[in-house]
Parts: sequence; structure tokens; C-alpha cells
Amino acid sequence: MIINFKGAKTYLGTGGKSLDINKRTLCFLHGSGQNHLSFIQQARFFAYKGYSVIVPDMPAHGFSDGNPCKSIKENAEWINDLLVKLNLKDVVVIGHSQGCLVALELNRILKNSLEALIFVAGSNEIPVNQFLLDLSKENPQKASQMMVTWGHGIDGDMSINKWPGHSHYGEGNNIMCMNKPKALNCDLNSCNDYSDGIYAAKNIKVPALAVLARNDQMTPLKSGLKFVELIENCETHILDCGHFLPSERPMELNSIINSFLSKLK
Amino acid sequence: MSENYKFDTLSLHAGHIPDKETGSRAVPIYQTTSYVFNSTEEAASLYNMEVGGHLYTRISNPTVAALEQRLAALEGGASALACSSGMAAMHLVVSAICSSGDHIVASSKMYGANINLLQHTMPRFGVNTDFVNPNDPEAIKSAIKPNTKLVFGEVIGNPGLDIMDVPEIAKICNSKNIPLVLDATFNTPYLMQPFKHGANIIVHSLTKWLGGHGIAIGGAIVNGGNFDWGDKDKFPTISGPHFALGGISFWEEFGPSALIAKIRAEGMYNFGPSLSPTNAFHLMQGIETLPLRMKKHIENTHSILDFLVNHEMVEWVKHPDLETHPDHEVAKRILPKGSGSIVVFGIKGGREAGKAFIESVQLASHLANVGDAKTLLIHPGSTTHSHLSSEAMKEGGLTDDMIRLSVGLEDINDITKDFERGFKAVKKLNK
Ligand SMILES: Cc1ncc(COP(=O)(O)O)c(C=O)c1O
Repeated sequence: MIINFKGAKTYLGTGGKSLDINKRTLCFLHGSGQNHLSFIQQARFFAYKGYSVIVPDMPAHGFSDGNPCKSIKENAEWINDLLVKLNLKDVVVIGHSQGCLVALELNRILKNSLEALIFVAGSNEIPVNQFLLDLSKENPQKASQMMVTWGHGIDGDMSINKWPGHSHYGEGNNIMCMNKPKALNCDLNSCNDYSDGIYAAKNIKVPALAVLARNDQMTPLKSGLKFVELIENCETHILDCGHFLPSERPMELNSIINSFLSKLK
Repeated sequence: MSENYKFDTLSLHAGHIPDKETGSRAVPIYQTTSYVFNSTEEAASLYNMEVGGHLYTRISNPTVAALEQRLAALEGGASALACSSGMAAMHLVVSAICSSGDHIVASSKMYGANINLLQHTMPRFGVNTDFVNPNDPEAIKSAIKPNTKLVFGEVIGNPGLDIMDVPEIAKICNSKNIPLVLDATFNTPYLMQPFKHGANIIVHSLTKWLGGHGIAIGGAIVNGGNFDWGDKDKFPTISGPHFALGGISFWEEFGPSALIAKIRAEGMYNFGPSLSPTNAFHLMQGIETLPLRMKKHIENTHSILDFLVNHEMVEWVKHPDLETHPDHEVAKRILPKGSGSIVVFGIKGGREAGKAFIESVQLASHLANVGDAKTLLIHPGSTTHSHLSSEAMKEGGLTDDMIRLSVGLEDINDITKDFERGFKAVKKLNK
């Protein structure tokens, strides 16, 4: 659905169902240079399982207008204001990559009042090399292509896809191309500059789940494993794929999330 | 992990990795109509398009999907859909995008069935087409109307071998927010990848060079994922609510793959032109050697062009790689590896000469197909167009002496020897 939020056209994917504030809400937060289409195979899946689903296109991403947020904190404040505007209270936040950092900050703002946190291919820090930072400014399309190829496991190279006929690379590139050109550079700088992750992770008091990827080159498994150690009682799973876990292993990921959710109060 | 595999590697591997249980190196043929659901929930999630997977072979099949994913990789597209023939692919695209009252701009020089579909069949359903010269971007531009929903043409036209200036036409389509749909059968992704030049949707007859062995009919649609379908008034079938699936908007939910999702959910469901898994396997076997075959097709074509151009019995020869072809400069620019292995030529002596030639060759097969590994010939004047007068043929851009040659992979000396046999028969006739 499209709403006017903070003076800008803002798109929220709802998984093909309308938003019902009386149901538990799953709020999916996309990664750097991505948009709601990172969660194609999660949004409908959970909306049809009886949850209210929102997958916001962050400002300047996907179908949303506006200026991109310039820090992880700004992203988290934007999401917090959105949840307030939509009057959503019973919220589980699911972040992918940069979305995990935003989830950490959002949890700080909300003083652990979220129902749960789910980190997909996440870490407490996502340093970005200078080459990619520069390229994302000079040639965001090229930078996107590199991220799409680095980001996927062998399924990307070999055009293997659980979704018949789909190509991870072709689809991934075009999803990133839908964003406003300056969005990627803002995202990558936000990730690179974020340094409060250790503190934020240590202070998580809500149920937490992490699903990490063995062949992740964007947020390496080593970093993800260090991250989950910081969180008290974080249920952790490792899947055999690359960084783009939501499209590389949709069924496995959905099933892990589903059983985690079913254990929540 | 990324290796960024190159074209030759993808031709062999894309779409399949041996599975852990069987280790089958070849793509298995999943000769099944349907798939056992693990639970009612799983069944529902497939029906609702919540996640990818197979539920019925009319909609998708693992062997067919391997072919689709190979094609998507070779073309650099977001997604692909394989179907029962090239014509089925064309109809699926047109019917997914257009509704009664809509308009199409198409090349006037195309394969007969492509023309017939747009000129005679679609108007019965309220979709009308204006045909324009494919090598005249300005004419294409001025034919576009407010209700135009797509521009269609063949990269290399059949049988006239006109070349579309794809980058120029793509620019026009892009500025008008209209998808450029190209039949890329004659070039295959080996000779040219239309998405790199700004095209949006590719239609293939896999029956031809991609399959390459003349054993299976098949077609495919490859979706570039590079078109914005967001204008709900203009493209209501893609971005407006669908009649099923809770009024889904394919554009909102599937973004770059909206068109393929729409075609699976409507075209494959309701028209049902599915490709058999066994034919998908055969076509994939062909694609494995596409780069090797295309190289040899082009090599042999260039040799045959030399032979024909210099032959006393040949009145004229047409191929875009010849400097005499009106689209030679465009061909050099967009098809630098060569512009396909179809050659058309005229034999001195008109209709009777063409007939005598065709009936005297032995190695080349006289039949109605192109793109086989074997050399193929047809003489429209004595077969497909035999009912037409010379004048009527001329009006359709054909001449009664014209032979269409699909150059195969045989030893070039054997092909030319065979042709000499044909020319000898013509000489006898002319005496
Ligand atoms: C350029 C072109 N497009 C499409 C087709 C139709 O393909 P099929 O026979 O696979 O339906 C043909 C067949 O001759 C063709 O030459």
C-alpha cells in the first residue's frame, strides 16, 4: 500500500493482505540498496499465515520517494515513527543485512518493547570497503551488480533457483536498479559508520533469532557468529548459501522463522 | 563465492547442479504431471504464489525450470518461461500485456505467423497493430499512439533479413514508456543479447538454433526485468489487481519478474501451452553446444556467401554481413560476431530455376524449418507461396526466384558440391 509519510510517497508491502493492527505484525527491514522485493517469498508467506506484514520501502528505495536516511539511527527513527503512525504495537522486526543494524537501533529506541527480533544474514557491524563506497557514489549501477554477484552463493552463479525460471542475478540487479541512484551510497555509508552494535546487541532483552549464511561474503559468518554471542539466548541457525538468504533459501528460512514465531507468547 | 561464469560455461551448466541423492550429472527428466504436497499448508502456499515451487506441470516443472533458468542466465534476464512453441511464447506475451482497445506497433517484415497473429487474429479480440518498416526508427516512433502497449519486431527478420536498430528503437520505446519486445530467434543470445541494448522482453523459438537439432518444438519468453510497469492505467494487467490470488498486483509483489508471474498465473493456467519435460531436456542438450554451433554456423555462412556471390548462376544474394545489404552498418554495430546463418538468394531463371535447384540438391534438406545443425533449403515460389503470382510475391517483399537457405554445420566443401549439383540442373533447364 502507498501512504503519505513525512511528506513523501511511501510504499509498504503487505504481502497481498490488508494490514490489521489487531494481529501480530511482522515488520521486515531490507538491506543496503534493496527494497521490499528482497522479501518476495516471505511477505506473502507470512501474510497468508495470519500475520500482519509490513515491508516498507525505505525513503528513496523501491516505490518510495523522499531522501535516503543518512545513518542507521535515522533509519531506525523513521521506522519507529512509521510504527507509531500505523498504530502497530505487537511487532516482531525481521532485518536482513543493514536491516539488522536498523533493528538493533530500533530496539534501543523502543527500550525492548518489541515482541522479538530476527536477524537474517546479520551482524553488529557491517564495515564496507572504500572501493565499494566510492563506486556506489560514482556508479551505483556497477556497485549494485558487484554486490549482487558477491552476495549470492553458488546458486547465483549457476542460476539455480527454488522459484522456477528466476535468475538471482538478473532479478537482484533489477531490484537494486529500482532505487533512486543516491540510495545505495547513503546505505553503505550508514553501515560503515555504525559503531553502536556491540552495545545494542548486549542490551537485547527480547527473544532473538539469527539465521546466518555459511557462504556470506557481505556479512561473513565469522562476524555473524561473534554477533550472536553478544546477545543473551539468541537462537541461531546456519544455512548453506550466500548473503541473499531470503531468496536463496526461502523455504528453510520461512520454516525457521515460523517455528520461532510459534514459540512466542 | 562468485565466479561470474562466462557464456560458454553457462550454456553447459546454468540451471542445474547435481543433486546430493543421485549425483545425476545430466539434468534429470522429471516426466511427471504433478507433485506430492508435504502438507496442506505447502499446497496452499504454492497456489497463493507465496513461495516458488512446482504444483502442476502445466504451470512449471523442474526440467523445464532448468531450461528457463539457463535461458535467463544466457540472456542476462530476470526470469524466463518456456512454453510449447515460439508462437505460443509470442501469444503469451501479447495476451498478457494487451486487452481489447489496445494497440501494437510491429515490424512489417516478419515471420508469417507473427504477422498473421497480429494482423488477423488479435484484431478479433480488439487488439490492433500498425505495421512499419523495422529499419526505420522514426516510422516506429510516429506509429506509437496513446493506447500502444508494446513495440514488436524480429532482431533479424525472417525471411527478409532486415535488421532492427535495437539501441535506437529501445531509446524511443523507453522515452514513451512502452516495452520493446523482440523475437531473437535468428540471433540467439550467442550473437546478441538484446537486454544489453535496452530491449525489455525477448521471445524465442527454441525450435531453431537454441535447440539446434530439429527434434523438438519449443518457445520461451525472457523477461529483462528492466521495465517499469507501475502505470496502472496503462498496464492494468501487470500492475492493477489480478482477477485471482486476492487481487494481487504482480508489479508490486514481484517487481522485475512481474510479467513472468502474470504469464504463469494467467497464460499457463488458462491457455496452457506448456512444454513437455522431455522436450525441455532435448532443447537443453542443444543449448550445451550453442556457442560451438553458432561459431561454425557463422563460419560456414561466410564461406557460402563467398561461394554464392561469385557464382555465375546466382542473380543476387542477401545477407546482413554483405556490404551490399541495406542494414549492413547496423548489423556490424549490433551483431559483430555475425548476423545469423540464414541466407537468401535468387537463381538466374526465376521460379522454374528455383524449383529445379531445390529438387536436384541431395545433401541439403528441402523443408520448412531453419536453424537445424543440417543445411536446409526452401523455395517459397514453388511451395509456401506457389499460389501467388510473381507480382503478388513482389508486393510481399519476396521474389519468385528466391531460395531461403539455413546454413548447417556440414563440411563446407560438401555443401558447395551439393549446390553445384543444383546449379547444373538449372543450367540444363535454361538451355
Ligand atoms: C523468427 C521466428 N519466430 C517465431 C517462429 C515460430 O516458432 P515455433 O515454430 O517454435 O512456434 C519462427 C518459426 O519459423 C520464426 O522463424
